Amino acid sequence: MAAEVTPVTARPPVRSPVSPPTRRRRSLRRKATSWLRGAIIVIVCVVALFPVYWMVLTTFQPAQDSITYPPDLLPHGIQFGTITSLFANNPIASWLLHSLTASAICVAVTLIFSVPGAYLLSRLRWHGVGAFGFLLLFTQLMPGAMIVVPELQFFRQLHWTNNLLALGVLYAAFNVPLGCWILKSSFDSVPSEVIDASLVDGCGRIRVLFRVLLPLSKPGLVAVGIVAFFGSWNDYLFAAAFLTNQSLYTAGLGISTFITDQTIKLDQLEAAGVVFALLPILLYLTVQRHVVRGLTAGAIKG
Amino acid sequence: MTAVLDPARGAAAPRAGRRGGRRRQSPFPYVLLAPILVFEVVFVVYPIIRGILLSFHQTSFGVTKYVGLAQYRQMWHDPVFWSSVRTTFEFTFVMTAVWISLGLAVAMLMNWSFPGRGFVRAILAIPWAVPDIPVVLTFLIMLDPNFGILNRFAAFIPGVNHHIQWLSAPNLAFIAIIIMVGWKGFPFFSLILLSSLQTIPDELYEAAKVDGAGPVRRFRSITLPALRPTLGLLGVLGFIFSFQQFSLIYLSTGGGPGTDTSTLAITIYNQAFEFFNYNYASAIAVVGLLIAVAGTVVYIVVQRRVASVRGLEGVNAAL
Repeated sequence: MAAEVTPVTARPPVRSPVSPPTRRRRSLRRKATSWLRGAIIVIVCVVALFPVYWMVLTTFQPAQDSITYPPDLLPHGIQFGTITSLFANNPIASWLLHSLTASAICVAVTLIFSVPGAYLLSRLRWHGVGAFGFLLLFTQLMPGAMIVVPELQFFRQLHWTNNLLALGVLYAAFNVPLGCWILKSSFDSVPSEVIDASLVDGCGRIRVLFRVLLPLSKPGLVAVGIVAFFGSWNDYLFAAAFLTNQSLYTAGLGISTFITDQTIKLDQLEAAGVVFALLPILLYLTVQRHVVRGLTAGAIKG
Repeated sequence: MTAVLDPARGAAAPRAGRRGGRRRQSPFPYVLLAPILVFEVVFVVYPIIRGILLSFHQTSFGVTKYVGLAQYRQMWHDPVFWSSVRTTFEFTFVMTAVWISLGLAVAMLMNWSFPGRGFVRAILAIPWAVPDIPVVLTFLIMLDPNFGILNRFAAFIPGVNHHIQWLSAPNLAFIAIIIMVGWKGFPFFSLILLSSLQTIPDELYEAAKVDGAGPVRRFRSITLPALRPTLGLLGVLGFIFSFQQFSLIYLSTGGGPGTDTSTLAITIYNQAFEFFNYNYASAIAVVGLLIAVAGTVVYIVVQRRVASVRGLEGVNAAL
């Protein structure tokens, strides 16, 4: 803003100093600009969050309002009947528990493998780091649909289908690469002096990892956990292929069966969506600082 | 000790391996590598190899025999395969353009200073945190031909049918998918572009203003050139992300109407789990894998060139 004024006031007295009416016009213009900006930001937020609002609205407004035409933008009341009947008529609670189980396994296994992986990428010197980086990157970028068929045959052979533990471990295999990159950037940001000092103190490589790097990388570890959780909570493809036993359905798979089920009403469908999205959104909002920092800080060297 | 543990090797140091060249190697890194390598090979590399082998075989009535390139020959003459290749490239191209332009617009908005900027930035990233299935559910309801809110807005346009069948009309289904996937994915692009925008010094804009450059000119001569490396990298990422899309498309249209929204991922899934033709699905998947390898290589090349640009270092971690 100040920049707009500088050229004018700094202009040598070729013309007389800015007259009062011009100044008033300028400040009016500035006010108009900032109002306009505010309006644009509000409009963008409203449009961007509208689908989320609609989901919440459909869940909590009286059920008949969701199936009137034309639909109204504002609710005519609040009720919780949709949510309670959703839980009463469907095994949502146990589906959520299954999703939590698979996700917890995924998070744990991802963390266990990401720590040595990140150490290898960040602080150790060895032959083959380039090939290792390529393997990780490729695993991360490859679409799941390209691998689901042979993966299913492999798991059938091992009798690991219909097994939440095996599913969680498989999710981890797809999330370890990302975990390695995130943690690597955390490890890279630990100052070399700190590591030098502990080397002088006679710490070994393992001790440097556990006593120096890991305690200083808590935000990175949180980010890895979150990303692994999102990755497994979000999955539909592998759950749909591997879980044929309905009593083992994860929430994503169970709720997706509503889409083709004509007996499920629209408001119930949305309520299921709200229930499923609640945990990731809350998790994101609590740790968004960590995640955003983890995502936009650090280093990459393939 | 220091031959292996190199404290100097931080973000700015060159790649390892090459530099450590002829020195005696300690086994420690390989001890650390073994478990993670075994894990990834068993769960990712081995299935990929199995998939490639599957594509050279045919199983019918429980008997599997080697058929050479027969699956690939069938693919070559299969209009469904070619149409899904076309759909994939149309979809990835349009999606990348939409993500980058939306992301850039929102990032420039976030780059203004206004009260509550941190809050707005946090809530604008919410779409990214919503899992695929709720995204599909809410768009199915918003696009519903009878009760959907979008048709209510569409009704304001004169001459438009009040009950548009968004997901079952040709072309419209493709547009609906673009809107849905675009909504879910844009926050990632805007966050990365915002961190890049914040590295452009204000003095550049001030100097341009003094020289009488208008907003359009400032955008073209300062913002765009400064963002070019980031935009290049995001272009590759946009391709990769949209190539990965499966559940959003599958659960909303199933690839239809006809094969209108059937990308390679959808075609493979339908071949495998609707027609139970695992071998043919695997052959298509091999083509998909080759495209993914190409994408990875291009990503590495572009990222090497860009890695030195400030504010971009974390993109890899953000996948």
